[in-house]
Amino acid sequence: MPMLKGAIHKLATFIVIAVAMICPAVASASSEGESKINPKEIIFEHLGDGYGWEVPFNHHVRIPLPIIVWGQDGLHCFMSSKVDHGKSYTQGNATFLISPKDGEYPGKLVEIVDGKEYRPWDFSITKNVCALFIAVILVIWSVLAVARWHKTMGHKAPRKFVGAMESLITFVYDGVIKPTLGAKAPKFAPYLLTVFLFILFMNLLGLIVVFPGGANLTGNIAVTLVLALITFFITNFMGTKHYWKEILWPDVPLWLKFPIPIMPLIEIFGVFTKPAALTVRLFANMMGGHMIVIVLTLLIFIFGAMGAAVAGATTVVSVCFSVFMLLIDVLVSFIQAYVFTMLSTLFISFGQEDGHHEPHKPAPQSTKN
Amino acid sequence: MELFTPDFGLIFWMFVAFAILFFVLYKWGWPAILKGVESRADLIDKGVEYAQNAKEQLDHAREQADAALAEARKQQADMLRDADRMKTQIIEEAKEAAKKEAAKVMDAAKLSIEQERKEAEKQFRNEVSAFALDIATKVVKGEMADKAQQKKLVDSLLDDMEKQN
Repeated sequence: MPMLKGAIHKLATFIVIAVAMICPAVASASSEGESKINPKEIIFEHLGDGYGWEVPFNHHVRIPLPIIVWGQDGLHCFMSSKVDHGKSYTQGNATFLISPKDGEYPGKLVEIVDGKEYRPWDFSITKNVCALFIAVILVIWSVLAVARWHKTMGHKAPRKFVGAMESLITFVYDGVIKPTLGAKAPKFAPYLLTVFLFILFMNLLGLIVVFPGGANLTGNIAVTLVLALITFFITNFMGTKHYWKEILWPDVPLWLKFPIPIMPLIEIFGVFTKPAALTVRLFANMMGGHMIVIVLTLLIFIFGAMGAAVAGATTVVSVCFSVFMLLIDVLVSFIQAYVFTMLSTLFISFGQEDGHHEPHKPAPQSTKN
Repeated sequence: MELFTPDFGLIFWMFVAFAILFFVLYKWGWPAILKGVESRADLIDKGVEYAQNAKEQLDHAREQADAALAEARKQQADMLRDADRMKTQIIEEAKEAAKKEAAKVMDAAKLSIEQERKEAEKQFRNEVSAFALDIATKVVKGEMADKAQQKKLVDSLLDDMEKQN
């Protein structure tokens, strides 16, 4: 048996290498007519948003998604397949097309008014928006599954998926929210737990390469900005008197805050840097993960120009590194969701301090990764 | 750079999606879960406490049973010892009583023996005196066969009487 196993291993390795050697050769042979690849363009196309959803193994067909725009003369709705491949689409008096690479708004839908490109209010269900809805549905479904368990099964121990979800929820609730917020934990737990699961699901969906996933959602600054803004609003609008006093009139020597309000300025600056840090941390981490995997994959095609042997070797190395990076990204997905939740909890808890006791200072966790 | 300029549409939908998500979970998700988890934790805590108490009680009961058994053994031993003591005491008393009784019987016997002896002595004396009288009579009869003798005796007797008078 061990000999047979060894033989199978050897055979499998041989097949992988052979396929890796042949594929780029075939690819280069078939795409001779096409222009040279532009790595930068491909990377940004993959990281960015789109009006359709790519399908595997085909560059021309995309899953059409609805486009909803408020143009010069009101609302227009149509499917993205109408403006595919640079086609322009006329509905009523308005003409739309996706702006070309050298246009004013590259890759975005524009309305043509008097021969000039004009960007309408764009509420399209783009790839990212669609992925957002998928994530929302998945989170709702998984959380309600746990809630249903608690309603119908009483105090039985949950198992399988429900058990996994519940241990995730209690991990964050008992590990982060309760120790930080104390008695106020139940008040803010719904928001923080929602944020945690939402980010986690979006992160993990982004790692799936084909249809329901693949959108670089949390690597999009709009998504992280909204989440950070909500935390910012909760922190400041629900903040206590003590919190505002600490910002506007902190406990420092008078000369630091009286004729020139140095400390208050720094504190106010800090109020705004916190959501900015939240935004950029999640955005940069997730985008970086996606970018590394794409770059590793593109290396195959860049080196593919140097001949079959080099391309084959690069393929093996790149695929190995890509798999490794994707595995790391699974870990990063969880860590980033956790860190975002933890920092949100921390910021909210700063806003909840009351001056009766010495404000406890939780050790600032500098989880920059 | 395109990557760093947030898209208006996506921000809008993100707000909407998050609002829906939060509302649904706030209404039907989290309260049930947090309450359920909490009450289950309470139940488990109570169960553990109950089990500990039960174990304690069991241990206690065993101790009590052991104590009761030891007590019973002690009582048994005491009772046996008491019975033993009582037995010896009774035997002692019986012996004493028997001794007393025997002494009394002995006394009575002594007394009756004394009486008997006295009676016998008396009877013996009577019999002896009767014998003596008989013998005396016979002797006297023998002596009186001779006239001279008889006269001599009467004379001496008369002399005695004279002397006495």
